[in-house]
Amino acid sequence: MDKKAKTNRPGKLIGGFFMNLVLWIFSLSCIFPLVWMLYSSFKEKRAFNADIIGLPKSPTLINYIRILTNKDYHLGESMWNSVRTTVLSIVLIVLFSYVVGYILARVRFKLNRVLYAMFLMGMLIPVHSLLVPIYVVFRNCGLSNRWFTLLLPYISFGLPMGIFLVEGYVKGIPVSLEEAAAIDGSTFSKTLFQVILPICKPILVTVAIIQVFSCWNEFSFALVLIKSVGLQTVPLALTQFKGQFASDYPKQMAAMLITMAPIVVLYFAFSKQIIKGMVSGAVKG
Amino acid sequence: MLSTIKPSKKTIFLYLLVPVALFVFTVFVPLITALFYSFFDWKGGPVKTFSGISNYAQLFHDGTFWTAFGHNIYLVVICIIGQVGIAFVLVMMVNSKLVKFKTIHRTFGFFPSTIAAVCIGLIWNMIYHNQYGIINWFLKAIGRPDLCQVWLNNSKWVMLYVSIPLIWQYIGYYMVIILSAVSSIDTEIFESAEIDGANGFQKALYITLPLIKNTMLVCITLCVAGNMKAFDNIYVMTKGGPGTASMVMAMYGYQVSFSQTNMGYGSCISVAIFVLSLLVIGGSQGLIKRLTREKEA
Repeated sequence: MDKKAKTNRPGKLIGGFFMNLVLWIFSLSCIFPLVWMLYSSFKEKRAFNADIIGLPKSPTLINYIRILTNKDYHLGESMWNSVRTTVLSIVLIVLFSYVVGYILARVRFKLNRVLYAMFLMGMLIPVHSLLVPIYVVFRNCGLSNRWFTLLLPYISFGLPMGIFLVEGYVKGIPVSLEEAAAIDGSTFSKTLFQVILPICKPILVTVAIIQVFSCWNEFSFALVLIKSVGLQTVPLALTQFKGQFASDYPKQMAAMLITMAPIVVLYFAFSKQIIKGMVSGAVKG
Repeated sequence: MLSTIKPSKKTIFLYLLVPVALFVFTVFVPLITALFYSFFDWKGGPVKTFSGISNYAQLFHDGTFWTAFGHNIYLVVICIIGQVGIAFVLVMMVNSKLVKFKTIHRTFGFFPSTIAAVCIGLIWNMIYHNQYGIINWFLKAIGRPDLCQVWLNNSKWVMLYVSIPLIWQYIGYYMVIILSAVSSIDTEIFESAEIDGANGFQKALYITLPLIKNTMLVCITLCVAGNMKAFDNIYVMTKGGPGTASMVMAMYGYQVSFSQTNMGYGSCISVAIFVLSLLVIGGSQGLIKRLTREKEA
C-alpha cells in the first residue's frame, strides 16, 4: 500500500465506508440465493410457506430423501447424463482443439488459412440461430434423442475458442523444440503427443475450465434435441421439476442444490484458477 | 517451415478429418438447410411446398418478431449499462486502497456467472413469486404491502424484471475481466495523478478508462453477442409472456417451430436471427470504433 497518499480527511473515511458497504451488498447478494436455498431446503413445505426467510426450526432431510428415492424424478439419471456428456465433450474438445490448433499453427498446407477462417466464422455465428436447423438436420439423420446427441453441438461450439487459444499458444513455443525432436528421430505424431502436449498443458486446462461450465449449464440445445426423460441433462430436468413441484419450493431448492453441487464445489475449490481461465478465454477469444 | 517436421498429407488429413467433418456437419450443414427450408411452406410433416419468398414477406410484416427483436436490443442496451457500467464502477471501488477483502468480493461476485441460466431463472422465479417471494416479503416487512404485485405478470415492466437477473448474474464476470485489465496498468500513473491532485472520479474517467479501452470493447462485444441470443432465462421465467411482452427472437423462433410446428417459417426466423445478430454485433463494433476515434481526434 502506498503510504504518502494516505490522508485522514473525514470525507475519505465516509467514502471508504460507502465503497465497502456497496461492495459488501453486491458480494452478499451474489451469494445470498445459494445460502437461502441451502437452509430453506432443510425446511418442510409448510414451514417454508409460513416463514420464507427464517432459519429452519426443525431441520429435516425429507426433501432430499424424497427427490433421491422417487424414481419419477429421474434426478440420478439426469446427473449421470450431464456428467457423461460434460466429461466426454471436454475430453474431445481438448483433444481436437489441441490437434487442430497445433496443425494450424505449425503445418503449412493449402487449406490451412481456409480452415482457420472457417473456425473463426464458427466463433462469430450466433449459435442460437442454429437451434431449429440443427433439430431438423439431426432428426432427418436419426441423430436426435440419443445418448451421444448433445456431444455433437457441444464439441462443435467449443472447438473454435479452443483452437484459437491453442493456436496462439503454440505460436509462442520455439520451433527449435520440434527440430530437435525431429533430429532425434521423432515422428510427427510422437512430437505432437510427447514433446509439445506437456508444454501446452496450461492452455488446455484453460480450455477445459471454460467448457466445464458451458457444457454442464447448456440448456437450449438439450431442450430441442432430447425428448426422452431418461436422456435429459440436469438443466432440462430442472425445468420439468418446476412444473411438478409447482408450489413446493423447498423441494425445488433441494433439487437445484443437488444439480449445482458439482459446479459449486469445483468453483470454490479452484476459484482462482477458474476465474483466471475464464477471463483469459473471454479476452483472447 | 522445416521439411524435417513436415508430416505427410495423409497424416494431416487423418488428424483433421473428424473435427472438421463434425464442425461442418453441426454448424454449416444446418445453416444451409435452414436457408433452404426458409423458402418452403412446411408444417413439420412430410408435405413441403415451395413458396418462394412468402415466408420472408410474412416475417417482414410480423409484428411479434419485430417486437422480439426490439426486446433483444433493449436487453443489449440495458445490459451494457447494467453489466459493464456497474462492473466498471465496482472495479474502481475494489481497486481503492480503502477497500479490504478484495479476493472475497471477486470470488463471490463471479460466482453467479458459473451457475446455469436455468437455475438463475428458477431462483429469480422464487424471488419474484407473489406469495412466497422475497421481494414481496420485504415490501410487507417494511410496511408497504400496497407495492406487492405479481411481478412477472406486469406486461409493462416485465422486460425490466427479466433483465435484472441477467444483469445481476454477469456483473461479477465483467468485473473480473475489467479488474484484470486495470491491474496491468502501471501504478506510477495513478501516483503522479494523485500528486497533481486528481480525485477518484477523475482518475477513473481520464486515466483508467482510456487505458483499458480495448478491454471495455471486448466486454461490450461479449455483452451484445450474449444478449442477442437470450433464451434460457426467458424460457424459464416467462416463456415470452405475458402475451408477447417479454418475447425475444430465439424464444419466438422456438415457439413457431415447436409449439406451432411451423418448421418452414421457423427456418426463416432462424435465418433472420442469424443475419440480424451479425448485423447488430458488427454494427455496434463499427459504432463504438467510430465514437472512440472521434473522441481522440
